Amino acid sequence: MPVVLDIGLDIGAGVARRAHTCSTWCLGAATMSGSALQQPGAEGQHHMALDETVAPAPVALAAARAVGLEKTYGKGDSAVHALAGITVEFGRGEFTAVMGPSGSGKSTLMHCMAGLDTPSAGATFVGDQEVSRLDEAGLTRLRRDRIGFVFQSFNLVPTLTARENILLPVDLAGAKVDEDWFDFLVGQLGIGDRLSHRPTEMSGGQQQRVACARALIRRPDLVFADEPTGNLDSNAAGEMLGFLRHSARELGQSIVMVTHDPRGAAYAGRVVFLADGTIVGDMSDPTAESVLEQMKQLGT
Amino acid sequence: MWKVTVKGILTHKLRLALTGLAIVLGVTFISGTLVLTDTLHNTFTSLFGNVYQHVDFQVRSKAAFTSNSAGGGAVRTPVPESVAGTVRAVPGVAYAEGSVSGYAQFVAPDGKAISTGGAPTLGVSFDPNPELSSLRVVAGHAPGSTHEIAMDEGTATKYHFHVGERVAVLLTGRPQTFTLSGIVRFGSAENLAGATLAVFDLPTAQSVLGKVGQYDAIDVLATPGADKAAVERAIARALPPGTEVVTGQTVAQEQSNSINQGLSFFSTALLVFAFISLFVGGFTIFNTFSITVGQRTRELALLRIVGASRRQVFRSVLLEAAVLGVVASIVGLGLGVLAAIGLEALLKGFGITLPAGPLVFLPRTVVVALVVGIGVTVVSAISPARRAVAIPPVAALSDQHEEQGESSRRRIAVGGVIAAVGVAALVVGLSEQAIALVGIGAVAIFLGIGMLAPVVARPMASVLGRPLALFGISGRLGRENSMRSPRRTAQTSAALMVGLALVSTIAVFGASLSKSATSSVDEAISADYIITASASGTGGFSQSVAPAAAVKGAAAVSTVYGGEFEFDDVVSNLTAVSTEHLADTVILRVEQGSGAPALAAGDLLIDTTTAATKHLSVGSSVAVTFAKTGSSTMKVGGIFKPNALIGSYLVSDAYFLSHFDDPLPVAVLVRSAPGATGVGAALDRGLRSYPNLQVQTRAQFEQSQQAQVNQLLGLVYALLALAVVIALIGIVNTLMLSVFERTHEIGLLRAVGMRRRQVRAMIRSEAVILALFGAIIGVVIGTGLGVAFADSLQQQGITDLVIPVASLVVFLVLSGLLGLGAASWPARRAARLDVLAAISAE
Ligand SMILES: Nc1ncnc2c1ncn2[C@@H]1O[C@H](COP(=O)(O)OP(=O)(O)O)[C@@H](O)[C@H]1O
Ligand SMILES: [Mg+2]
Repeated sequence: MPVVLDIGLDIGAGVARRAHTCSTWCLGAATMSGSALQQPGAEGQHHMALDETVAPAPVALAAARAVGLEKTYGKGDSAVHALAGITVEFGRGEFTAVMGPSGSGKSTLMHCMAGLDTPSAGATFVGDQEVSRLDEAGLTRLRRDRIGFVFQSFNLVPTLTARENILLPVDLAGAKVDEDWFDFLVGQLGIGDRLSHRPTEMSGGQQQRVACARALIRRPDLVFADEPTGNLDSNAAGEMLGFLRHSARELGQSIVMVTHDPRGAAYAGRVVFLADGTIVGDMSDPTAESVLEQMKQLGT
Repeated sequence: MWKVTVKGILTHKLRLALTGLAIVLGVTFISGTLVLTDTLHNTFTSLFGNVYQHVDFQVRSKAAFTSNSAGGGAVRTPVPESVAGTVRAVPGVAYAEGSVSGYAQFVAPDGKAISTGGAPTLGVSFDPNPELSSLRVVAGHAPGSTHEIAMDEGTATKYHFHVGERVAVLLTGRPQTFTLSGIVRFGSAENLAGATLAVFDLPTAQSVLGKVGQYDAIDVLATPGADKAAVERAIARALPPGTEVVTGQTVAQEQSNSINQGLSFFSTALLVFAFISLFVGGFTIFNTFSITVGQRTRELALLRIVGASRRQVFRSVLLEAAVLGVVASIVGLGLGVLAAIGLEALLKGFGITLPAGPLVFLPRTVVVALVVGIGVTVVSAISPARRAVAIPPVAALSDQHEEQGESSRRRIAVGGVIAAVGVAALVVGLSEQAIALVGIGAVAIFLGIGMLAPVVARPMASVLGRPLALFGISGRLGRENSMRSPRRTAQTSAALMVGLALVSTIAVFGASLSKSATSSVDEAISADYIITASASGTGGFSQSVAPAAAVKGAAAVSTVYGGEFEFDDVVSNLTAVSTEHLADTVILRVEQGSGAPALAAGDLLIDTTTAATKHLSVGSSVAVTFAKTGSSTMKVGGIFKPNALIGSYLVSDAYFLSHFDDPLPVAVLVRSAPGATGVGAALDRGLRSYPNLQVQTRAQFEQSQQAQVNQLLGLVYALLALAVVIALIGIVNTLMLSVFERTHEIGLLRAVGMRRRQVRAMIRSEAVILALFGAIIGVVIGTGLGVAFADSLQQQGITDLVIPVASLVVFLVLSGLLGLGAASWPARRAARLDVLAAISAE
């Protein structure tokens, strides 16, 4: 259990944030001990953290992390607490699956971590960069240079060919195309013969692989994939997931994937379980069976 | 990002072509006008340059002042014949000969007077020196006696005159008949910009044009090899006071300048309508871009997610607009050249034959066309581009992206302020007679109302659609669709709103003008018959008409003259009426001083408006200048209520005749004796030898005044029609976009059993609602503007305010029908959608 002092990293941050950092560590400890259930918002821990003013933060290992993340939609009676205080880290080079029932806040978590949505409370980091501190231009650069996205649907710009879609982030950055890397990705994904096709001329699986190539073309620190296999048949889904696992294992690509399919989650190296906006479980080296078992236990 | 933009443009070629059409038409209008007027300008400049290329100097009287009328030039009096002798005596002068010009109008073989489309009917003297004459004899020989005349080739060709034939000519004196001795050209042209030319030898010209013993100008040739500057100085020294010597080049310059001044008036008028078209086009562009940005919300959000910055998105939308603007402007430029050629042919058709000259295509035309075309397109796209920028990246991930209510509240506030500022600018502009401010005010009102319109779009669409809904499901769905997006409905109809507003403004203004014209005739003239020239461009008619009009049964005959003089250093129009019969023929309501007695005493009468603005009262003395007699002072002898016939300044006929050279009467008024019958017929008989005249009763005169107003209105409507067409293109465009957007929905309707006919009816219903919505708002605004304009011109003679309800209703009905027409293509397209493909569309 590495214990790192918070001071050097986050001098300007408020005490409260440090308190949340503490819960990261606490959660981490709980995870290590194999306990699935956690109460990260517990008052006692907050006070403890405040008193100690020193908190461990395993930053060196995290590709991204969230600290005391809350997201509330709406106001008053109609308020929906989509995220009710989440502290989590996603390891570098790790392929993490986020599972949970529909409406549990998976997408919201992803959006907040990627800077697509602003948290109501708490903070999110990509590497050592606090996302909520970035201005509009900073967020744009973050998305363009450090994060890759794959979604369930509407991934591609309909007027562009596959090749142009893949190279879009490069074009937007005004950067030079790394042809070797492009060829490598295209080869790995098996879409070399589809490069001049428009999205409408491709199958869902092919479109999703193009989206995958696009997500990886800038060699981002982290890829977020929100139910990337949700619209695919099982064959295409398998290929897709295989590729993601391969990217993490062989290329050291950090990936966070939202899914609700236990077999999909089994491709990941770790599964984080979400329910009602809180983390209710964390599992390493999952198999379809163990994930299913865990889900049953959680009653979802 | 360029790639995305360019691909987007290529994918939506049809949509962009339709959108661009609005700009193409506007730019065509602008560049066509510029090319045409530049060409005319160039043609006339080189024509006069050629004509005067051999004339070394011209001697003439000094200009008294410059005429107010468009292209009028300097007002000069003739010089005495003796000046020619003085000039000939100057060493270094090889040749000097006088020339005269004036009114002479041909009578066609069928007995009708030959008139032009506004160009003068000129009588000129022929200079036998081929080096000096601007006229080239192309058939027969030059006129050489008092019985001979030559004619311009244009008139000869058009009316089939041949050398040797007898030709009747109307002159300032009695009409005369001459033998056609020859046909001439003006320089290289068949005639002078549409003017007819009656050519006499110098003495005949002097006598028939009323210039006995006088020359209008003296053309001078220097001896070859002489120092021209020295000769010019020598001539200047020898000349009597009040005369001057100028070079031939100067004269050429002046003449082409004065024609070009007239041209620039013409081109300004056309350009105003061109800009109106572009303004309406701007609304169409704005609307199309707003809709497409809305439709591309997910795509734009996706771009933002994969790393496009706000600026890149903004620039991408503007780039699309810029590309559209460039292409549309270039196409418009090309079409403009064709339009100019077409217009030139059209002018030729009207008998205005122009000297042959190359089409002039100045770099300025290209610059103006591109700057304006691209400018309008890009500026119109700024607001949609900003909306595109405001799309959050997450919008790609949710199904619908709700627009904030706040922005609409802000829009209402901003729209309200802009409209209010517009009204203020308009009111101030109208009261201060500042035309630019009026224009800015109108533009602001349109923009402001355009922003406010979405507020009423839903309720109005609901009401307008109710009758359609009675026709069944198609009408009901069409109504729902038009209510679905109030903003789009309002934006789409905004262009038509502007078009209809302008048309209604003109309708109200015109109806008021027309009514005022009639009632002002009743309030200005008490004569029973009014004799005027039946065609414009003649400047008047013979002085021998009035005596001829004294037929049996005519109790009073008075002659009306009009001319320019300088009043208080401002060139103004002066009217004269025979003092003797003033009371019998003209209704002059004298407020202060006296009428006829003051006139008889040689005093000036002014109207109340002038008296008020210039702070004058009876007894005031004012500075006046006449071209013939120079500066003097006059006493104000009376102040009368504004009178449409007289205008602001009135003197007696005797005074007028002694202060103007050979003036032409503009009207003769005849009052019949009580109980006299057949006066009209007697007048017709008595004036048989003046086919250029028309004898009208007061009622007929009123009608012809109205007809003139209506003719002008017709022209303005025709010019505004382009703006309406552009607005309709906007409706077609929006409906196409809506059909495209609702592919899935239409497929669904078809799948559950809607017939093609019903689909078409649905789209048409929506179009009718859109068109009516825009038309109603437009008519309301236009009526308001028309009332404001008419009201502000009360002093200028628009005394009656008429709202032509019937015409306005016709406009509304027409708009509905045009909307129906605009829907036909989108409706067909919607009906033809393949059901299966439509349903499986994303
Ligand atoms: N834009 C939004 N406005 C209001 N509520 C939202 C919004 N987005 C998500 N929610 C709510 O937040 C909760 C979590 O949503 P989401 O993160 O999309 O869940 P998941 O992806 O796990 O299915 C749900 O209850 C959802 O209704
Ligand atoms: Mg989700």
